[in-house]
Amino acid sequence: MNLEKVIFGFFIVLALTLNFGYFIGDIDNPAHHHVYELYAAIIVNLIATVLKFGDRTQIGAVHLATSLVADLQLITAAVLFAAVSGTPSEATIINHVVSLSGGALLANVISVILLMAETITLRR
Amino acid sequence: MNNITFLILRRMRAPLIAVIASFGITVAGLTFMPGIEIDGKTTYLSLFESFYIISYTATTIGFGEVPHPFSTSQRLWMTLSIYMTVIPWFYAIGKIISLFQDSGLRQAFTTSRFAREVQNLHEPFYIICGYGETASLLVSALDRKQIRTVVIENQQDRVNELELEDYQFDIPVLCADAHMPDVLIKAGVRHPMCAGVAALTDHDHVNLAVAIGVKLMNPDLMVLARADNNETAANMASFGTDHIINPYTLFGDHLAMEVHALGTYLLHEWLTGVPGNSLPSPACPPIGRWIVCGYGRFGKSVVENLQREQITTTIVEADPELTGCENCIIGSGAEARTLEEAGVRDAVGIVAGTDNDINNLSIVMTAREMNPELFVVIRKNRRYNEPLFEHFNADIRMQPSDIIAHECLAHMISPLLAQFLSMVRNQTNAWANQLISQLVGVVGENVPETWAITIDQYHAPAVYNFLSWGKSITLDTLMRDPSDRDRKLDLVPLLLLRDNRHILQPETDMPLLPGDQILLCGQPGAKDALPLTLSKYKALNYILDGTEIPDGFIWRWASGRMKARKGRKEIK
Repeated sequence: MNLEKVIFGFFIVLALTLNFGYFIGDIDNPAHHHVYELYAAIIVNLIATVLKFGDRTQIGAVHLATSLVADLQLITAAVLFAAVSGTPSEATIINHVVSLSGGALLANVISVILLMAETITLRR
Repeated sequence: MNNITFLILRRMRAPLIAVIASFGITVAGLTFMPGIEIDGKTTYLSLFESFYIISYTATTIGFGEVPHPFSTSQRLWMTLSIYMTVIPWFYAIGKIISLFQDSGLRQAFTTSRFAREVQNLHEPFYIICGYGETASLLVSALDRKQIRTVVIENQQDRVNELELEDYQFDIPVLCADAHMPDVLIKAGVRHPMCAGVAALTDHDHVNLAVAIGVKLMNPDLMVLARADNNETAANMASFGTDHIINPYTLFGDHLAMEVHALGTYLLHEWLTGVPGNSLPSPACPPIGRWIVCGYGRFGKSVVENLQREQITTTIVEADPELTGCENCIIGSGAEARTLEEAGVRDAVGIVAGTDNDINNLSIVMTAREMNPELFVVIRKNRRYNEPLFEHFNADIRMQPSDIIAHECLAHMISPLLAQFLSMVRNQTNAWANQLISQLVGVVGENVPETWAITIDQYHAPAVYNFLSWGKSITLDTLMRDPSDRDRKLDLVPLLLLRDNRHILQPETDMPLLPGDQILLCGQPGAKDALPLTLSKYKALNYILDGTEIPDGFIWRWASGRMKARKGRKEIK
């Protein structure tokens, strides 16, 4: 067992689960989407991205790309949310925030699939 | 370049994670701290506000407490945050700065920049390995002749020297060992525009390694290699190195040529010189008995060549056993006694050929004192002793680096030039003198430009098209000024190569054929003007029949009408 692999897997899966936790619920109901979950998803996604730096293999490159996509979407969602929170338009804009995080969720799913594919093809 | 990005990213992993984690904790924590009470309600900072505050705190900008003054618990958390974020922030910045100062990374940067510069070369270039005295001469000569070069040198101070030189082209230079194959590849051995490689380092084994490496990686490439030892030269010849340059043998050869046929020698010096330099004044070595001081590689070559010219030699050598010299006078030659013994008073010439500049100067000064009429040949080893040699007025100064550079130039300017020079050697001295007087008449007393042209679709489209229409163009046409057909360009055709047949000094009324290669020599102005005639249909037409082709469709149509009308009038 390799501690580095544990940490790597942990952050990638956590990024997906947090993202999913934020995304789940009625898309137009702000009560179903807690902002702290979005915040945690962003932080964990950023850490996952940095962990993927410096891998020169093809699969490593795709890993990094999926993480960058997730970061981009989550940060856009956060910026959007920061701009509208507390204003009357929050109720309508929350749709867009959640759907953006849904996009990020897809990227995170791909990232986890890659992780699984990598693990399965690894023979000892 | 790709590797470097990955390297930076990899090394930045720890500091970036530290920054993200510290931000993550402090931003979240700040939102949980109860703020001051407004209208009886405890305020909390939102995530965005908190991120904003931590951002300006971590970067030490510090705008103060917004949007309201902080409560005590918020201030407590901020105190913690300051230490938690500012330290990772500086750690990250420090890491980036130290990364860019890392010598390994800097080397990677310069190497990748060098490789990119070489990749972007779109004209023929030569790779020069080793930037010593020889190579600096060669590079500056090639630069003046508008030929691009790429330099590999393993000493940083010489690389700096090159970077400070004032060359018209940007010369890509890499500080690396030339005998490493990947260095050669980066320098462009496999580049389609690479014209050849010159291995000119001071070490025979490096030159050998370069020659082998290039011949294996790109067998068609021309390789010029310097070899000071005969064994190395034989080794290089065994795998097909195109030109092996042994400065000592070459000088002996040149000296013999100077004794034997001064005109041929001058022609050789002249055509391979740096354009714009003034011509060296000819010195004619006398025939009689010569004294050769120093019987090393240089001395041996001189003696051998002088004896071939029926000149008797007396050898003075300090260590006859080491150099394998029989029948010589023992001594360094710097003392009057030894020279007296060698018979300096009735000798006609002396060659100071030891590998020590100061000894050589001492020899010739003593000898001149004893016999002022003596013809002096002196070997110059180090370029920095140049001022000393300038003060002593020797008849011939031999410097290995000059000789190698000239020899390289002869091959690099054009393969035709090297062929021409070898043909010149078989001609009589009178022939060479006649050619020299013709050249002086056309180009003056300075070293002329020498260049080759090819009559084909790419290099001379206009001429090629005219020929393919069945029209006849003579060499004389090319020698006329495209702006005034009555004036001749200042150039002399030296050699014409047609179907593997060499024609020395082709006649000017000779008709050209497609595929001809012509070696020309002339003024820089002529070199600049010639491409116009070769490639512009209009200029060529003007030279051929003196009429201007009208520009544009309308004028052509109008002039056609006018001609037709004129023709009709004449018929009437």
